[in-house]
Amino acid sequence: MGILQELRKNKWLYAMSLPVIVYVFIFSYLPMSAHILAFKQFIPAKGLWGSEWVGLDNLTFFFTGPDWLGVTLNTIYLNLLFIVSGTVCSLGIALLLNEIHHSLIKKVTQSLVILPHFISIIVVNLMVMNFFNGQDGMINSLLKEFGFQTISWFQTPEVWPWLLTIIFVWKGAGWGSIIYLATLTGFSEEYYESAKIDGAKRWQQIWYITLPLLRPTIIVLTLLSLGRIFYGDFGLIYGIIGDNSLLFNSTDVIDTYTYRSLRSTNMNSYSNAAAVALFQSVMGLITILFFNWFVRRVDNDSKLF
Amino acid sequence: MRMTQRDTSQLAVSAAAYLCIGTFALICLIPFWLMYIGSFTAESQIVKGFRMFPTEFTFDSYRFLFQGSQVYYSSFVSISITVAGTIAAVLMTSMFSYVAAHTKVKYRYFLSFYIYFTMLFPPGLVGYYLLISNWLNLRDSVLALLLPLLFSAFNAFLMTSYFRTLPFELNEAATVDGAHELYIFFRIIWPISMPVIATIALFYALSYWNDWFNALMFIDDPQNHPLQMMLRRIVSNSENLDYLNANINIPVSATGVQLSTVVITIGPIIFLYPFLQRYFIKGMTIGAIKG
Repeated sequence: MGILQELRKNKWLYAMSLPVIVYVFIFSYLPMSAHILAFKQFIPAKGLWGSEWVGLDNLTFFFTGPDWLGVTLNTIYLNLLFIVSGTVCSLGIALLLNEIHHSLIKKVTQSLVILPHFISIIVVNLMVMNFFNGQDGMINSLLKEFGFQTISWFQTPEVWPWLLTIIFVWKGAGWGSIIYLATLTGFSEEYYESAKIDGAKRWQQIWYITLPLLRPTIIVLTLLSLGRIFYGDFGLIYGIIGDNSLLFNSTDVIDTYTYRSLRSTNMNSYSNAAAVALFQSVMGLITILFFNWFVRRVDNDSKLF
Repeated sequence: MRMTQRDTSQLAVSAAAYLCIGTFALICLIPFWLMYIGSFTAESQIVKGFRMFPTEFTFDSYRFLFQGSQVYYSSFVSISITVAGTIAAVLMTSMFSYVAAHTKVKYRYFLSFYIYFTMLFPPGLVGYYLLISNWLNLRDSVLALLLPLLFSAFNAFLMTSYFRTLPFELNEAATVDGAHELYIFFRIIWPISMPVIATIALFYALSYWNDWFNALMFIDDPQNHPLQMMLRRIVSNSENLDYLNANINIPVSATGVQLSTVVITIGPIIFLYPFLQRYFIKGMTIGAIKG
């Protein structure tokens, strides 16, 4: 018996992997069974299996309701904003950091731009509140000082996709630049030497040598984030928008919507939330498989599986 | 002629780099500075807005905070789950990743896929909620803060790709000498893997230290609230500083107390940052080679 023999031969190695195997089974595979609640009317007392089947009722309820298209589009739109601006800024930071030759300045500035990544969203939320809240937040005070009209930020949904993008970039762009910087410092000096002999200016070297060499990395990282386009950034969005329903129009994503469905006092809240979660998982699976297939075609070494 | 031209273009690009990076670095730093200064600013001044430099220096917010009992409960919860969780998580993840990268293990790709599938098809919020609160019955238990973050597939992949780069001759030599697998792992592999282990430890520690979602979902008892949850409570309900159980005779503004709490939660990160930075940039880079 191949399997038993293999397990016996490497019993200590398999034993070392056992804690994670058991853990992942309990914390990831068992809860997957809750997806079937999308087809049931869940009553906690009857449990997952005892509750009654209701066919497609929950899914019909979700898809005929007023919210599903809005939250889906918000999820995609916000993620696109995040991916595009995040990639551009991370790339820019990496390229510029590479031009700083003073090693202490380079180290200090790199530490500073990475720092926001390590801060909890609750702290970021506190900053955002102090900057934007009410009429006497910092931003409105500045606007007033320079004679502009103040804005009631927390009642103006249109500005939030952009504000969230700025926050996302502030928090994550420095962190994202690590991977680009690491890649581009590995490029051979020879390319640049010969370009210099040909009289290429520094920005021409960046444009015609560094960027084309970085292209595969950029494409792969972008495709991998596109694969997760149906998963909203719950921490960022819920941490900052919270339950402020005035802003839902432009900021409510599938994840925050599921969370609210689950927490609502509605009798059928579990099953409603399960229907949304199932929709998300299925769409997520399809997009990840699609983009991974795409990555494989672009650059076979960077595929995830 | 050519020389000077090259130098000017180099100079122009460098100048632009210093300017842009310098500006962005300042934008990253200023909010922290404002909060830090704000936490020492007197109540009468802080209501007028944030300042770059303190006008009236005071420790009142800190005194208020540390007179209450909540900050002690919350610090205790945060520190203990971070320490215990990180140690357990690093042990579990490193052992698993090592096995998943080990060329002698026939089913290593199955092990990787077993983990990867959970990223492809996540269990979803409802299943997660039911698991913690109904099936495992962890409501109001610190285990609800500890267990959910014990393993991250991303970290496992980062580590696996590091272990794949190790020369496995090391291993074979030790095996021939009759060394036990556990001995090989902890005595030979572990010491040469410090950059990646430090990186992963940092990631786990941060995810524990900064977690508030699990507390929001599962913990009602304030005695089991971690610091982030305590901060969330006094930020989202700023009138209600009663939550801190503090002496109300000290005149403080809600903002001042919020800011001093922020300083307490960020302090350890800033303090450890310079020590860890060289590791995590190296560790991230190793993982960057593949996925």
